[in-house]
Amino acid sequence: MIKQFYILIVILSILIISVVWDYMRYDRAYSSRVVSSIGYITGLSSPSLSVSYYEPRVLMLDSSINTTYPQMMTIDRMDFIYAN
Amino acid sequence: MLTKSSFLYFLTLLLFKQRDKHIGTISISIVIIFLLSSILFISSSIQGSIKIALESQPDFSLSRVEAGRVVDTPVEWIDKISDIDGIVDISPRVYGRYFYRPKEESFLVVGVDFFDEQNQKELKNLIDGIDLKDFFSRDSMLVGEGVKEFLAEHFYSGDFSFKTPTGKFKKVRIYDTIPHQSNLISNDMVVMPIDLAREIFGMSEDLSTDITFNVPNDSEWDTILTKLHLLFYDLRVVEKREIAKAYSSLYNYKGGLFLILYLITIVTFMLILYQRYSMVYSSEKREIGILRATGWSIGEIVKLKFYETLIVVVVSFVLGTVLAYIYVFVWGAPLLKEIFLGGANLKNQVEFAPTINMGLLSSIFLFYAVPLFGSILIPVWRIAITSPKEAML
Repeated sequence: MIKQFYILIVILSILIISVVWDYMRYDRAYSSRVVSSIGYITGLSSPSLSVSYYEPRVLMLDSSINTTYPQMMTIDRMDFIYAN
Repeated sequence: MLTKSSFLYFLTLLLFKQRDKHIGTISISIVIIFLLSSILFISSSIQGSIKIALESQPDFSLSRVEAGRVVDTPVEWIDKISDIDGIVDISPRVYGRYFYRPKEESFLVVGVDFFDEQNQKELKNLIDGIDLKDFFSRDSMLVGEGVKEFLAEHFYSGDFSFKTPTGKFKKVRIYDTIPHQSNLISNDMVVMPIDLAREIFGMSEDLSTDITFNVPNDSEWDTILTKLHLLFYDLRVVEKREIAKAYSSLYNYKGGLFLILYLITIVTFMLILYQRYSMVYSSEKREIGILRATGWSIGEIVKLKFYETLIVVVVSFVLGTVLAYIYVFVWGAPLLKEIFLGGANLKNQVEFAPTINMGLLSSIFLFYAVPLFGSILIPVWRIAITSPKEAML
């Protein structure tokens, strides 16, 4: 085999080893503990969706304010309070 | 007949001599594998973290429905529910969105009953070294990383004033930040005592957003549901198993959509490769003709092309998946994460927990390697079986 091919094998091996090393050193126990604790305390498991105010944020439990015209927000009591 | 070492020497020499030809194939393959692997890594990581959070979530949540809309649930329902045998850990839950009008962004405010011993224990698990006495000494809250950053940008470093529905301001101390490892769930969350949350939402003490409870015996779940529907006529019950199904189908659907796009792309790419190798005047044809004329057998030529393709496949696959790993688990998948988590509200600074599904990786490899081998080896074999003179024309 030619020298360049050996170099290619070495580079690929280094990449694979780095990924495996990163994967192994990740603190899964702490991460799971934190996720489990926040799930327990809040009782919510929905991913933190970065959605507009009128769209459902908590999957399965929330519903959108106006599903037919989602871009139109309905007027509520808070609007009058903020207007003051 | 070439010896093993001279065959390997010739194979690697040929690979590097014709690197321009292979670089094109490898580059396109890397892009395709990178995109598919990234999407599947994100999908499996989200599903893994949600599964952990779901395990600690209550089995049922119950809310009142009025004219088809979910409304606040009376706390007095708890007494009626507790009469049903088999139900434990009944608690009211208060949560909702707080809209910060000046910037048109919102937070998810969650009220928690911190007088519950188990909640206190979990709070200590969540925030290392939390001083509960100090936390309860005045109105305090824990905020997710996204909220923390948003408030800091708007000069709320120590406190934040919520505007209540009565028009009054309620100043709440930002006690601590929820660890970034849970950002997938808590990025836009504000966790505070339940009474404080009620005050911010203008909710009376005898109301809650919903009521949660557990039924330890799984086989009783359906009976309990029937009993609840007989007890109240205006309620909606959401089961944990329904939520689990909805999550997995949602994320499998999003991942599956990309798998379909991948298949379309890979088929197109393979067709191009097939066309290139079987073209009448292609350099491949001439090369195979020369090898045949110098005494190479059909088997040796196919073997040479097989190993050449294998190297291309392995290099592309390793580079594509490694790049996807770095992009998702090290850089947090900028842009692509918005397909799964959105980007219309607070900036989502999710740290995806590395999850590598070997079954998934092998499927990607097979879906990529098999068509590539087919699209190269079939035309190579067809050229190799023709006479060398004809192939070199």
